Amino acid sequence: MTVKSKFDLRVIMIGAHPDDCELKAGATAALWAERGAQVQFVSLTNGDAGHHISGGGELARRRMAEASRSAEILGVDSLVLYYHDGELQPTIDVRRDVIRAIRRWKADLVFTHRPNDYHPDHRYASQVVQDAAYLVLVPNVCADVPPLEINPVFMYFPDHFRKPVPFIPDVIVDATAVMEKKVRSLDAMDSQMYEWLPWIDRQLDQVPKGKTERLEYLKKFWSKHFRSSANEFQDLLETRYGKARAAKVRYAEAFELCEYGRQPTREELWNMFPD
Amino acid sequence: MRIIMLGAHPDDCEYYAGGTAALWAAAGAKVQLVALTNGDAGHQSEGGGALARRRAAESRRSARILGVSWRTLDFHDGAIVPSLEVREAVIRAIRDWRAEVVISHRPNDYHPDHRYAGAVMQDAAYLVTVPNICPDTPRLKRNPVFLYFLDEFQKPAPFKADVTVDVDKVMDRKWAALDAMDSQVYEWIPWIEEKLDQVPAGAEERLEWLKSDLGPVFRRWTKNHAGALAGRYGARHAAKVEFAESFELCEYGSQPDRAEVWKIFPR
Repeated sequence: MTVKSKFDLRVIMIGAHPDDCELKAGATAALWAERGAQVQFVSLTNGDAGHHISGGGELARRRMAEASRSAEILGVDSLVLYYHDGELQPTIDVRRDVIRAIRRWKADLVFTHRPNDYHPDHRYASQVVQDAAYLVLVPNVCADVPPLEINPVFMYFPDHFRKPVPFIPDVIVDATAVMEKKVRSLDAMDSQMYEWLPWIDRQLDQVPKGKTERLEYLKKFWSKHFRSSANEFQDLLETRYGKARAAKVRYAEAFELCEYGRQPTREELWNMFPD
Repeated sequence: MRIIMLGAHPDDCEYYAGGTAALWAAAGAKVQLVALTNGDAGHQSEGGGALARRRAAESRRSARILGVSWRTLDFHDGAIVPSLEVREAVIRAIRDWRAEVVISHRPNDYHPDHRYAGAVMQDAAYLVTVPNICPDTPRLKRNPVFLYFLDEFQKPAPFKADVTVDVDKVMDRKWAALDAMDSQVYEWIPWIEEKLDQVPAGAEERLEWLKSDLGPVFRRWTKNHAGALAGRYGARHAAKVEFAESFELCEYGSQPDRAEVWKIFPR
């Protein structure tokens, strides 16, 4: 098979909610996109439960608009499916939608949550993507969309859950250069970043009113999370980037290889990712 | 303190945690035992609605002995799946009880109803705080602490005791609570385990038989988690404990540290 350059790659990231791909992999997506790779963010649910005041179709429309604004900042494509937030199940319908989405994007790489992340929608999104990992090749499954000829590489977003097994990164990406862009892409999702997430975390009173001030708050709030991958996986960072550059990395995004789908060597895998 | 235990069948909470429930209740905590199914498949010669009614009556007797509340969500026995319908019923039950602590099976226990009860509890663990989910029932402002009952399965991971409770003081009550469920302890379970002929006829004799039959299992639970018991009670006290019940913290929901978990549970 022909080996594509990392910037000819087609990447699809499948999150449960509009904001999951952005939070877990926004910087890596931006780095790929800046150099010409084609990236699509898919949200399986429309996010219609993710607010304390608003809800239903009204909220879904608001979040879809936020997702497109955010995608535009990152230079990626955005697709929001129609399942209800908080109600995602690993059904054949969802699986078929995922198979079709992966095939239509002609994906070389597919990202999703691990099957033991905290939110049931994340866990079931993961299960469905795992279920699609082989079937995207099978012509008699979803016969309406041509199958992929090469099985994509499937990757997991990081999380901090340990049972039955903790997240183990297979690749890490220096996100320092595009952190500003990532934070701006989150800033575009104000229903989440300035309303719902602070509310459910009981810190709505800490969100400032002014646009500049709240962007600062957002940066401060999320920086510690985005720094944590760089700190936790320092060894991998040094292996991939060398000690000198690794020491300068402030923000990183890490990903784990899924056992289903194509199994590249470590070198091959690292060559696919932006550095 | 408000505690809800989600067992798959009427007798699961009593079996795994009857002693702890009784200790909590004696200390003034409000405990509700929930059977997700009505238990209508758990008998060799009875079944359906008649069996479900018999088991509800047994469970209420048993709950009175332990000093706790009881309810069933009335799904069919042997037919629990991790559907939205079951999840929503569980979310509403947790919210209705205003639970601070929620306990259910691990998702790798032996019975599919146990495994799916465990999965459904996990699925409820964040969503009980989300107001747009089941908007008919007010959300919980604080995410409860979620824990698992003990089991002896090893794959993908064995049960790990995060807290162990000495239940010797209330063991007579636990035995009485199980004794009250005669459709199970003297009929169905001995039948499926091919020892129905061992069950004596008289009320006192069969309770003695139950203790001799189940006692070794309960003592094994104590022995298998002797380390956790000694950690909480000290080695000298732990060495004297005959019966203990253990629980594992679930990663979803509030994450108290060990000292906080130990404080939540009765001593």
